Formats: sequence, C-alpha cells, structure tokens
Amino acid sequence: MVAKPVRIAAPGDSVVDLPEKGEVRVGTGIHQEGNHLITCRPGLLCTTQSGKVWVAGRQKRYIPQVGDCVLGVITDKHSENYGVDINAPFVASLPVLGFEGATRRSRPNLQVGDLVYARVTAADRDVDPELVCTDASGKGAGFGALAGGQAFRCTTSFAAKLMSQPQPAILSALGKALQFELAVGLNGHVWVHSPKPTTTIIVTNTLPKGEFLSDAQAELVVKRIVSSMQ
Amino acid sequence: MEYVNPEGLRQDGRRPKELRQLGCELGVLAKAAGSATFEMGNTKVLAAVYGPHEASNRSAAASGATVHCDYAMAPFSTGERRKQGRTDRRSTEISAVIRNTLEQTIITELLPNSQIDIHVQVLQADGGTRCACINAALLALAEAGIPLRDMVAACAAGYLDETALLDLNYIEDSGGGPDISVALHPQFDRVVLLQMDNRLPLETFETVVELAIKGCKAVASYMRGQLLEHTRMLASARGFDKL
Repeated sequence: MVAKPVRIAAPGDSVVDLPEKGEVRVGTGIHQEGNHLITCRPGLLCTTQSGKVWVAGRQKRYIPQVGDCVLGVITDKHSENYGVDINAPFVASLPVLGFEGATRRSRPNLQVGDLVYARVTAADRDVDPELVCTDASGKGAGFGALAGGQAFRCTTSFAAKLMSQPQPAILSALGKALQFELAVGLNGHVWVHSPKPTTTIIVTNTLPKGEFLSDAQAELVVKRIVSSMQ
Repeated sequence: MEYVNPEGLRQDGRRPKELRQLGCELGVLAKAAGSATFEMGNTKVLAAVYGPHEASNRSAAASGATVHCDYAMAPFSTGERRKQGRTDRRSTEISAVIRNTLEQTIITELLPNSQIDIHVQVLQADGGTRCACINAALLALAEAGIPLRDMVAACAAGYLDETALLDLNYIEDSGGGPDISVALHPQFDRVVLLQMDNRLPLETFETVVELAIKGCKAVASYMRGQLLEHTRMLASARGFDKL
C-alpha cells in the first residue's frame, strides 16, 4: 500500500486522540499516552486509508521485525545454531536446520565472518531475534550464504528505499548501465556482486551516494561514472 | 561587582530575562547512531549516542534499557588549561544528573536488556554546561531514532543584584548567587530536573523557577524547530518536497 506522508513530526507531538469506536493500527514511532497517540521520534508521519499510523525516520540502528529480509554476518558457531550480527541491539540466532534441505546429517558449513541473507522469524522485545534462510514454504528462494562480492552499510531508511517499487533512480540507472546482483537487507546492509571486480567497486561506491540525489542528479552521476570507465 | 547595571543590562549586554544565542547541528559524527552539537552563547557541547546495544549487565536492564552517560570537559574548554579529570566529583555528579533526566525521557521499557551509551563532551565552557549537555544529548537521541516520551529542554536561572537572571554565563555563575537548573518536558509541562546551589527565600525561589521554566520552553521550541528543519531537509533530499 502506498503510504502518504502527512507532515513532519518531532518527539512528543500529539498525533490523534483515540476515537471512541473504530480501529487504529499503530506502527513504529508512535506511543500511547492516556487517550492520545504521541510520536516518539522525529520523522515523516505517515497514514493509510485503512487507519495505519506510523513515523518513518532515518535511523542507523536496526530494530528487528518479523518478516524483514536482513543481511547478517556470522559471529558465533554453535552445534545447533549460528550467531548472526544483524546490526540490531542483540545477536540473532540462525538454526543450523533453517536452510533449504538441511538435516542433522547434511548441514551447511558456514564460517565466522560469512555473510548470510535471511528472514526474521521471531522478534520479541524479551527474546533474542531468530532467523531462517528459507521462505515460508521451506524453499531457498535466494536466502542463504552469499559468496564473493562486497557489502556496505547504509541507513535503514535507505535500505527500505532500495527495496521499494518503483526502484529508486540511482539503482535503475546503475542496473541499465552495468551488470551486477544486489542483496538488500532492511537492517541497512547491502551486498553487491558482479563478475567483474571493477563493477562491484563502482556500485558499492556509487549506490550510497544515491540517498540524497534527485532522479536527474542520480542519472547524471551514473552516466558520468560509466563514461569514465570506457 | 555589578551584575546588572542601572540601565538594566547585564555584563554581556543582555537583559535579565534574555537567553544567549542558541545554535545546534545534528548528525555531526558518522560512526555514532546519533550525534549533535549544541551552543548556548559561548558554551558549546558535543553529544554522541551509541546503541541501543546488548546491556553489559543484563539482569539490571531486564525491565528496560539502562542509560549510561559519560560527561567530560575537554582540557581546552576553559580559560585556564586543565588536566582532564574523568573521575572528579563534579563530572560524576553531572553525569548522574544528565542520566537521570534522560532516563525519564527515553521510553526505556520498549528496549529491555539493552543499553544506551551517551557521551557528552564540553568543547567550550562558559556557564550552564549541564543544561547545554542535556539539550545536546536530547537532540542526539532524537537523531538516533530512540523512542522518547517528549522533547526535554534544560535552562538555568539565577538571582543576582536582586534581579532574577536567565541563562547565567560563567562570570554570573561564579558570582556566588543561587543557580537553579531546570529541565522540562514541554508538551506535558512536567519538570524532570530541578537543582539549586545556594539558598533563596521562598518567594524569590518561585519567581526564579518560573523564569527558568519560561527559558526551557523557549529553548524547547528552538530545538523542536531545528529538529523539524533537519528532518525536512532529509525528507526533501529523499524526494518528499511538498511538506
């Protein structure tokens, strides 16, 4: 659903008084104080027709949410699970059996430092987050260890923008000019891989600049870089 | 020494109920989750927020995030160069004051088992550093996207030459008169910090606190404006122009 930003909010702003009847679905950045809904961080206040309210802010730290696709780095190796750093307050755990076709006998052999693309299956404030490397039906579906390439960090809002449709101008312009693959984690980790190392380097250097470029500027930047390559 | 001259002006040319020039900048450090500088006249402080990350003492943070605050004065911040005392009594006390104020402002129960580190560094000291530190830390927390109940703004007021003075500078601060620091949640009109050195008669105490609260509200509206401006700038850079 397309979100429409209503206005810019600062912490402590009163958003709506709760109605007597009806439904309000509250997202991130909104806090209930008595009978009022109050914003608790700066950002764009967004609402939808169906009564959802949230604040979209620019944040570097990631707070896990169920269903998010994230990119993590393996930090620990245990017999039953891996510890994965997903840029969140806590280390997430990835069960050894959470891969497509994994059994007790044939388990993936990941090392500390490897990158994985995974899905968040549990994110509760009192329990450490959990990940799996399959989609809901148990298929690999692009999740799993990522070999080669290069990863960089960005803000969570820019990662969300890279995932959004229509694609941001910088990404579509790069995609037209160069051949590469991309894995975007909503936690603000992006992985780039291409057959040619130069392409990988160009994309990792150019993509983060796109956060604050207009469409026309982004196309110009890409054009200039690609022409300087030849 | 004369703190208010017969024309009713202070030593730095301000009127008794006038704030110093305010200034701030958000997102000054690339590594920190949130950072800000805040200026009140010649006082300038830098705040950096790291986290939330896993608490070093998880059992203490079981019901809500713990806030760690580290206040330090740069050796070059005062007129006379000083050796940095990280463990002196004054900075321990100010750290506790800042931590206490921010703990009441952050919605800690949303982030159990975690810890938020706030580092404030005084770059230039000209009186009212603890208030400037609270203001800078709040802006840094907001920039980091940490859930806050409300803005919090702090301001000091004093009483010299039988006049209530707002936002004391260093000379007025060392004048030996009473000095009251107040921090306020402006939306709820809730006083979260009230500190006084020296004594004051009850009637004058009330007028001075009143003045400090008015000062807090002015500082809060300035900070809110700057925060909205910063957010608007980020939003328009991302293609939301029409707000």
